[in-house]
Amino acid sequence: MNRTLSTLILAALLVFLIGPFLIIVGASLSAGDTLAFPPQGLSLKWIAKVFTVESFRDSFIMSMILAVGGTFVALLLGVPAAYALSRYKLPFGEIVNTIVTLPIIVPGIIVGLALLRYLVVPFSFSIGVALFLAHTALVLPYTVRVVSSSFNNLRSDMEEAAVLLGATRLGAFFKVVLPNIQSGILAAFILGFVTSFNQVPVSLFLSGPGVRTLPIDMLSYMETTYDPSVAALSALLALMSIGIVFLAERFLGFSRYV
Amino acid sequence: MFQNRAEALALALPAAVFAAIVFLVPVVIVLAEGFRSPAGWTFSAYTDFFSEPLNRLVLLRTFKLGLAVTIVSAVIGYAAAFAIVNLSASGKGRMIGLISLPLMISPVARTYAWIVILGRTGIVNQALQAVGLSDEPIRLLFTETAVFIGLLQLFLPLMILSLISALENMPKDAILAARVLGANWFQVFWKVILPLTREGLVVGGTLVFTGSLTAYITPAILGGSKVLMLETLLFQRVTVANDFVSASVIAFILITMCFAANLLLKRLATARNKR
Repeated sequence: MNRTLSTLILAALLVFLIGPFLIIVGASLSAGDTLAFPPQGLSLKWIAKVFTVESFRDSFIMSMILAVGGTFVALLLGVPAAYALSRYKLPFGEIVNTIVTLPIIVPGIIVGLALLRYLVVPFSFSIGVALFLAHTALVLPYTVRVVSSSFNNLRSDMEEAAVLLGATRLGAFFKVVLPNIQSGILAAFILGFVTSFNQVPVSLFLSGPGVRTLPIDMLSYMETTYDPSVAALSALLALMSIGIVFLAERFLGFSRYV
Repeated sequence: MFQNRAEALALALPAAVFAAIVFLVPVVIVLAEGFRSPAGWTFSAYTDFFSEPLNRLVLLRTFKLGLAVTIVSAVIGYAAAFAIVNLSASGKGRMIGLISLPLMISPVARTYAWIVILGRTGIVNQALQAVGLSDEPIRLLFTETAVFIGLLQLFLPLMILSLISALENMPKDAILAARVLGANWFQVFWKVILPLTREGLVVGGTLVFTGSLTAYITPAILGGSKVLMLETLLFQRVTVANDFVSASVIAFILITMCFAANLLLKRLATARNKR
């Protein structure tokens, strides 16, 4: 392909994919009171305002708990399952794999509705617990997938050797297998964290007084207010994601796993 | 391979049981609800749903937008992936990084940017008025075009990344050989590149199509109640009218479309290779 043509294509592509994000950053630095680009004068007042909005603070903490805790529980469930799927001739292995990875295919909004109707309402579950379960189920397929590929890339004769040399199965897992797949687990954690933190549809129906994830809170804030604070918050969140991905890539070669 | 079945089940069951209880069973009950009436099993919820013109319009629009986004992202995707594959190794790595970056950013933040761009006082309207093409702001938000642009920006990276890995796995000299043998670029694409990258196209296409069908954030922010798609319609039916039966019908349609897309595309990917 022609050199100039391909440079033009890539430049246009980057403008389309990254440009809007730069505009958000620009709009969030505005000194004016309405959302606009180019910004009307420069100031950090909207960035500062984000930290003073109480609902943003509460929902940020909620989202953090869901993303960190949910991914942690998903790993506790997913790592053994992935190990069983890759190392054993598992009876009904195909079915287990399907059930565990189904939450990727089924739209989140339906899961949220289902949990509200058949877990929260009839069993008077708290919405917070339902949210936690939903986010865990949502992240589970990613953890199983990423960790499975780590297990598959790790030759099984190492742990067999450890067992032959007298280690227990559990001992071989913790001393030989786990240290070798730790970067896969960390990659699964980051992927799970980002997925859960950014997730909207699953949480739509699972919000109530005081229980709300950050993206849902942003959606309802922007319905009523047309000031740059959502832009400022968006810019901050994007920077947070970029920071996480940058560090992960730096230390893990994250992109190999995703 | 270890042979102990009990051990294997003990390891895999917690995850499977968890997913079944939290996910599978409630979803199946929701789907079943659309076929229930006090008198027994029935399709009346479905005939009622489809007799409503708005519902038909939303279903058609969702399908149309999903298809349009998939096709356009495939066209742009091939051009972009081709340009990227021909870069130097470091340039390629940097481009892939820049293209994957948006995937990690909150879709709410990414979609919100389009309000600044397409709004009444947004960049596009400012430019149109400055150039003199229009005297007053044009309504760009809350149109199908806005939703289309938003979805395209959200899902295009997935298509490009799938096509990049497909193009990389393609033998490089295939194109050269076809050119030497006298094929023009159109023939090269149609007869060489497309068949050899079909699997990547199918993977990317499935991700983009099902992603667009089940999008909530983009139609909610850029379409509002003027441009409803299936998910925003579902949300509206439940929150505005407490209409769980319609919600169940929409859920069934969404899930069927997602599974059908997965199956169909999987078949497309393998059918040609066997020949």
